[in-house]
Amino acid sequence: MDEDLFRALVRAAGLERTFGKFPDDVRVAVEQALRTAGAIPVPENPTAEPWPPMRAGTGL
Amino acid sequence: MSELAFLSASEISRAFAQKKLSPVELTQALLARIEHLQPTLHAFIRIDGDAALDAARVAEREITAGRIRGPLHGVPIGLKDIIDVAGLPTTAHSRVLIDNIAKSDAVVTAKLRQAGAVILGKLSTHEFAIGGPSHDLPWPAARNPWNPDHHPGGSSSGSGAGLAGGLFPLALGSDTGGSVRNPASACGIVGLKPTYGLVSRRGVFPLSFTLDHIGPMTRNVADNALLLDCIAGHDPEDPGSAASQARHFGRELGLSVKGLRIGFIRHFHETDMPAHPEVTAALEIVERVLEAEGALVGTVKLPSLAEFSAVNRVILTSEAWAIHAKWLREQPENYGELARQRLMPGAFIPAGDYINAQRRRLTMIEAVNAALRKYDVLMCASSMDPASNIHDAVETARTYPRQARTPFNVTGHPALAMGAGFSSAGLPLSVQFIGRYFADATVLRVAAAFEQVTVWHMRRPPLG
Repeated sequence: MDEDLFRALVRAAGLERTFGKFPDDVRVAVEQALRTAGAIPVPENPTAEPWPPMRAGTGL
Repeated sequence: MSELAFLSASEISRAFAQKKLSPVELTQALLARIEHLQPTLHAFIRIDGDAALDAARVAEREITAGRIRGPLHGVPIGLKDIIDVAGLPTTAHSRVLIDNIAKSDAVVTAKLRQAGAVILGKLSTHEFAIGGPSHDLPWPAARNPWNPDHHPGGSSSGSGAGLAGGLFPLALGSDTGGSVRNPASACGIVGLKPTYGLVSRRGVFPLSFTLDHIGPMTRNVADNALLLDCIAGHDPEDPGSAASQARHFGRELGLSVKGLRIGFIRHFHETDMPAHPEVTAALEIVERVLEAEGALVGTVKLPSLAEFSAVNRVILTSEAWAIHAKWLREQPENYGELARQRLMPGAFIPAGDYINAQRRRLTMIEAVNAALRKYDVLMCASSMDPASNIHDAVETARTYPRQARTPFNVTGHPALAMGAGFSSAGLPLSVQFIGRYFADATVLRVAAAFEQVTVWHMRRPPLG
């Protein structure tokens, strides 16, 4: 990943201090998140509802 | 002593009623065994011996006076250390919460106290129920009683280790991606992730709000039903609590599986994530045993394990980040390395991906519901491998995600894992049964039918 982009993501997440102390762990986290990107298919129907259903008070 | 250590809750309750055993006698015996085995198993973060003996004395007086509260009265239990017990620290096995004294009982704790159960203490977990077996935390990782060089599974590690090691007959764990069923599989015990919303999560430190379940862990199926009877019930103050009246979870125990339709999700362990040959062989034996008992076993196809796993991961890490962001920014040094790495990815997942995961989740729920319209119960692998060597971080990291439990955190269906034999190295093998929403009793029925005609649950680990 482009280092400038990586640093920008870390700043946006508020993790600069954490990166200063544990740079390897932050890199691992970013890599894990990037591996996840694209793993979830976008539904063909753009109005598809997510779970949980928005039903007050009934649960499952 | 070993004889007392492996009594079931039902046997204990009977022995109390017949005055052949007293709660104080049993609690003292188990506390002595815990003291003896804690240096080997590390199942406990905190042993609360004095409070346990006080509770046992109260139970003894009440039982002697004929005021028996129910089947858990005077029965010892251990609680995963993310569950609040008033006045004790809830540490989540983390330095972050080392001084976090619970102000009140979790709902499940209060229900156990009401039932007269004797709380022995707080049990080891992976840090915040996600970190994995770590060696950089204030307390050591729990070990597997079948071979202490091996991982007992997690994240409810102490619960599984303590049950298999004969430290207590009952325990509670939590399950967000399989954390009740993993130690059940690794330790050869019974762990149920109930239907989502059946058990209140209030007073239990969350990992992922829409995936978290609290579940009973026991050495046999009947005890599991008893413990679920105690902890289940609607909680109006838990937003995820279901308005279900489901009760009496042991009501189907003893019924045969004759004519029951069981859908075997073979592709999970055959092609999606090919299992260790001994796991595959054990599953084939389970299938033959159930067929011999009269069940009608067919084959079920669901979305792939990779799809389920991706959905689980996006949801879990996103929700967990929302919980941990402040601490990870301000005190990252108080987390262990594994938890730090596993909790931060949510910071880098776009909100749109989270919503798409929740949308995909709905179609996965529909797929499992469709299978459960055709079949009464589903079965599949739980762990794809026997427990890894805990000293081998590479092998543990390789085998830990090789499992088929996360699908049912994603869908919320009840899912039970239990022992189903042993590997050539003497480590437990396992199977998983899944049921319709709120048909937890039927899942327990199938598990009990399998247990009744097999001998695996009678074997004891080679501990002193």
